[in-house]
Amino acid sequence: MLIDFDVHQNIPRAAWSQYLEEPYKTEVAEYGLRRVSYGVRAEDGGNRWDVQDAEGRSPDLHPDLMTKQLLDAYGHRYALLTGVKGPVAGVPDNDYAAAICRAFNDYTIDVWLRADPRYLMGIFVPLGDPQLAVREIERLAGHPQIRCVCFYGATRIPFGQRFYWPIYEAAARHGLGIHLHPATTALIANPATTGAGMASTYLEAHVCVPQNYQGHLVSLVLEGVFEKFPTLKFAFVEGGFGWVPHVLWRMDKEFKGLRQQAPWLKRLPSEYVRESMCFGTQPMEEPLKTGQIVSFFEIMDAENLLVYASDYPHFDFDPPDVLPRGISETARKKILHDNAAAFLGLT
Amino acid sequence: MPAHLIGPSEEIVEGRFKIVEMGKRSVGVTRLRGVLYAVLNYCPHAGAPICHGHLTGLVTSDGPGQGGYDAARAIVRCPWHHWEFDLADGRGICAGTGRIKTYPVREAEGQVWIDA
Repeated sequence: MLIDFDVHQNIPRAAWSQYLEEPYKTEVAEYGLRRVSYGVRAEDGGNRWDVQDAEGRSPDLHPDLMTKQLLDAYGHRYALLTGVKGPVAGVPDNDYAAAICRAFNDYTIDVWLRADPRYLMGIFVPLGDPQLAVREIERLAGHPQIRCVCFYGATRIPFGQRFYWPIYEAAARHGLGIHLHPATTALIANPATTGAGMASTYLEAHVCVPQNYQGHLVSLVLEGVFEKFPTLKFAFVEGGFGWVPHVLWRMDKEFKGLRQQAPWLKRLPSEYVRESMCFGTQPMEEPLKTGQIVSFFEIMDAENLLVYASDYPHFDFDPPDVLPRGISETARKKILHDNAAAFLGLT
Repeated sequence: MPAHLIGPSEEIVEGRFKIVEMGKRSVGVTRLRGVLYAVLNYCPHAGAPICHGHLTGLVTSDGPGQGGYDAARAIVRCPWHHWEFDLADGRGICAGTGRIKTYPVREAEGQVWIDA
């Protein structure tokens, strides 16, 4: 059984006018979407180059093609649709961002969730205005195929800070986890794309996605989010996982001496991570000696922390057999299915 | 070494792969600047059908900040992950990327043949 934690549907340009409300409907029809500039050469097309069918249709815009190429080909039980964040990430106008999120959510419900019961989705929310984000969660929570809230990595406030807590309160109340994905289409919207500053290339920024994730993970734990919302789940997707043990070890070590700066924590920081967080497998870590990945899986307790994610149809897609051969069948089953099922509240 | 008929010369067009079945193997044949190349349609990284990738030259550099492009090199970039391989010898451009399988390919009397 297979649950895919990261599948990217997109919206055809013509559909915006059907789903957007005024005044944005007219604005987008006349002037196009507001886009935060790339500024760098990105991943040369975004999608895998072999996914268009004979008519030139792309699976991210056509559910029947996605179903055939991904769900039917690999035997998915569920595929979590996580969209594309380019139209909203980094947009400073929160009313516009909220309208874009609403339209994208309604399009996904109408076109994708109805196409196949195996499609699940996360709610897009405008992260610059938590009140508007909560309004969108309240509008859509309860739909049986809506299973999480989608966050994107282009923000100026670390995710542990109380600014976001209304979102966590609403998400936890509805049993929805948070699915964090990099906003690589809005690199320039980040205060800095690496811990050292603004990277010159997509390559450099893409390699450094874990730096952004480390900042958010440490913030979430040390600010006490999981003491306040103990049932909240948080997933870090498309940032790899090789960095996780280091951060957990360092966080625990430093906490032992500097606990007074986070006195609300009742346990070691890493314990909150192990209880409340998970990490997407993609892009799979590839050590020079391939066998070392099995040892690494044991070091980080991968079978309890990882969820399989394909990133289909994007260029750095990982098929389900990307998991190393040397892991136990129990670990494989948990990573390919059970851990995601628990996060998404599926039986 | 048996010869496999791939098809008429005019079917192997500049800059595009013709993909054929050669026994149990899927093989791609292309022509770049008049030179024929044949490779196994399989990327050693994740098993992608590499002949659905892009055919390009080689982006080069003589040092930081200096970029160039060698159009005479024949490079295929995989449709997944975009790894680069030299069609002439199958070698990956980056260390650690392995190599793709190449085949001797020739043209005779209006037909293209692979010797494998």
